[in-house]
Amino acid sequence: MNNSAIRNWLGFSTLALMLASLFMVFDYVPPEADQGIAQLIFYFHVPLAWVAFASFGLVAIAGIFYLWLGDQLWDDLGYAAAETGMVFCTLMIVAGSIWAKPIWGTWWTWDSRLTMTFILWLMYGGYLMLRASADDTPAVARFGAVIGIVAALDVPLVIASVRLWRTIHPAVLVTKQGGHGLEDPRMVATLLMSLAAFTALWAWLLLLRFAQLRARSRMSRLASGVALAAAAASDTN
Amino acid sequence: MSGFAAVLRKDLRLELRSGESTLALLALSMLVLVVLVFALGAARVRSVDAAAGALWVAMVFAGMLGANRALLAERDNGAIRGLLLSPLDPATLYAAKLAAALIFMAVAEVGAVVLMVLFFNLEFDASIARLAPILVLGAIGFSALATLLSAITGRTRGGDMLLPILAVPIFVPALIAGVKASAAALAGAPLESMGDWLKIMIAFDVLFVTAGYLLFEHVVDED
Amino acid sequence: MSAPVVETHSLAKTYGLAPVLREVQLRLLAGAGAFIVGGNGAGKSTLLRMLAGLEAPSSGHALVFGQDTRRLAARYRRRIGLMAHQSFLYPNLTARENLEFYAELYSLGDPRASAHQWLGRVGLAHVADTRVRAFSRGMEQRLSAARAMLAEPALLLLDEPFASLDHDGAEIVAALIRGALERGASVLATAHAIPEIDGVEFAVFEISRGRLMQHTHKEEVRRGGRIRSLLGR
Repeated sequence: MNNSAIRNWLGFSTLALMLASLFMVFDYVPPEADQGIAQLIFYFHVPLAWVAFASFGLVAIAGIFYLWLGDQLWDDLGYAAAETGMVFCTLMIVAGSIWAKPIWGTWWTWDSRLTMTFILWLMYGGYLMLRASADDTPAVARFGAVIGIVAALDVPLVIASVRLWRTIHPAVLVTKQGGHGLEDPRMVATLLMSLAAFTALWAWLLLLRFAQLRARSRMSRLASGVALAAAAASDTN
Repeated sequence: MSGFAAVLRKDLRLELRSGESTLALLALSMLVLVVLVFALGAARVRSVDAAAGALWVAMVFAGMLGANRALLAERDNGAIRGLLLSPLDPATLYAAKLAAALIFMAVAEVGAVVLMVLFFNLEFDASIARLAPILVLGAIGFSALATLLSAITGRTRGGDMLLPILAVPIFVPALIAGVKASAAALAGAPLESMGDWLKIMIAFDVLFVTAGYLLFEHVVDED
Repeated sequence: MSAPVVETHSLAKTYGLAPVLREVQLRLLAGAGAFIVGGNGAGKSTLLRMLAGLEAPSSGHALVFGQDTRRLAARYRRRIGLMAHQSFLYPNLTARENLEFYAELYSLGDPRASAHQWLGRVGLAHVADTRVRAFSRGMEQRLSAARAMLAEPALLLLDEPFASLDHDGAEIVAALIRGALERGASVLATAHAIPEIDGVEFAVFEISRGRLMQHTHKEEVRRGGRIRSLLGR
């Protein structure tokens, strides 16, 4: 079937990109002057952040389409994006913590990016808890859509307020240049490869989960249809 | 809109009659402040940062309680169905519930401010007056958010526990802005200096009142 | 021939794997009255809720005033009155306050007067200023009938309107149904058994195993006598 062919292709591409990315991070790119080896986490941290936020955006977009068109497909996509995004968001927080220890000496710091990701993580958690606790209600898909939309609209405000909050306190910068001012072109190349690899991984996992949820939705519809038919058949007896 | 006025009047009348919600809100605000005073210790109690923070913590907890109550009255005898069946627009219902939640929260805020001044050894002076618009902006934002969310959480198993889990992360921008602006106001800064924080709060309010107004119909349908 | 007030096409409702209603075909014309009988859990309440637009069908669709019930605009909702098992009344408000609230909601010209008038019609004028929480089930049921009818809807959906009513209450509700039909409204009501209402002719349907059928054994099932036949018995 077409969909699984795409997924397989994506899976192999992910593997290839990941291997290339790992090679580049550990063998190719020169480590940064001040932070040493620990700085290499940067090449995982940034892609993870991009994927975590993008996935949440997808939850919101799927939510909008679901409310507008009513097709269960959009809800399945949104839910898959939420679960997948949660995984990457958690990884990012863990990666952030691992980075923080050698650089700043503590397991956690209220750096603006880490804080934002943590808030995002809480939003993901809330969404998933809502879905879990309302699973038996037919309205759960609508609830999820509304929460997803509302939270996603909030994210820019979260980013703005956290940044403003952090500029008052001594900044804990991610890179020396206070942004992504990467000097060496090899660093840029490595970063791009990492971004590609993680985006592929995310897309692959997302499609896998999406396919599962769609199958589940289809099954329930079929089951209801069978129940109706069975009742009709027993009628004629 | 006659529907808006009718629903709001009904909610206020119900509240005045039972009075439980308002009393509970005030009591909760007070208790939260007491806990914070003890938790922070005597030295911290003299700082405006602590006072502002404690005030907002009390407000958020009270706000959540208030929002839950606003929609609770409709659960009796399935009254929500009576509302949905009527010609009343769900968006208008949202506006009325928001107004009711806002009024409850405003009452709780007044109580909380008084207690804050007493517990944190502050003065009833101009800084309190400067606090007022900040608290109003915060109340609008929180009520808008909580009214929308409690329509959802009221119908799930998680229920009461789920509302803070959903509301708090989303409220963060207004919370950060509100606490910072409040602390600045208490320390004597003029409102002009808090421009950035106020802008964030206003943006939050506009965003959530609009979102609530547009999305409420999707969460309140009985199905 | 005028368009039917209520029309369903293969309406069905399934809860999870349990089919509650199947292939329901129903037509109700303006000014017509019909009773649907069936046992507990037969799906009568579900059908009424779907017609009121409170619940969406699993398949098929229903048209009320020619509009799909899943998307009933406000001006059509205004013309529907629903009386259900739940009274939709606020226990902490008085009978009068409840009716005035609903009158305002339905934009009636003089809410106070309407409320007053209907309280009289259902025999609750003497407890107008008592809170509903103090009412007996029968009184609440009467007030619920008043609430459903006070906007003079063109379509009345009544779910077991005679349940929990004593003789006087049942007479009152029967009179209200008669009045509604006389002014040209359509009435679709449910009951456990076929009622008799003086001076009114209505169609009888039965829901059995989720299907709606026109009652053929009317004569055999009809109990002799009046409203008494519905009460406790």
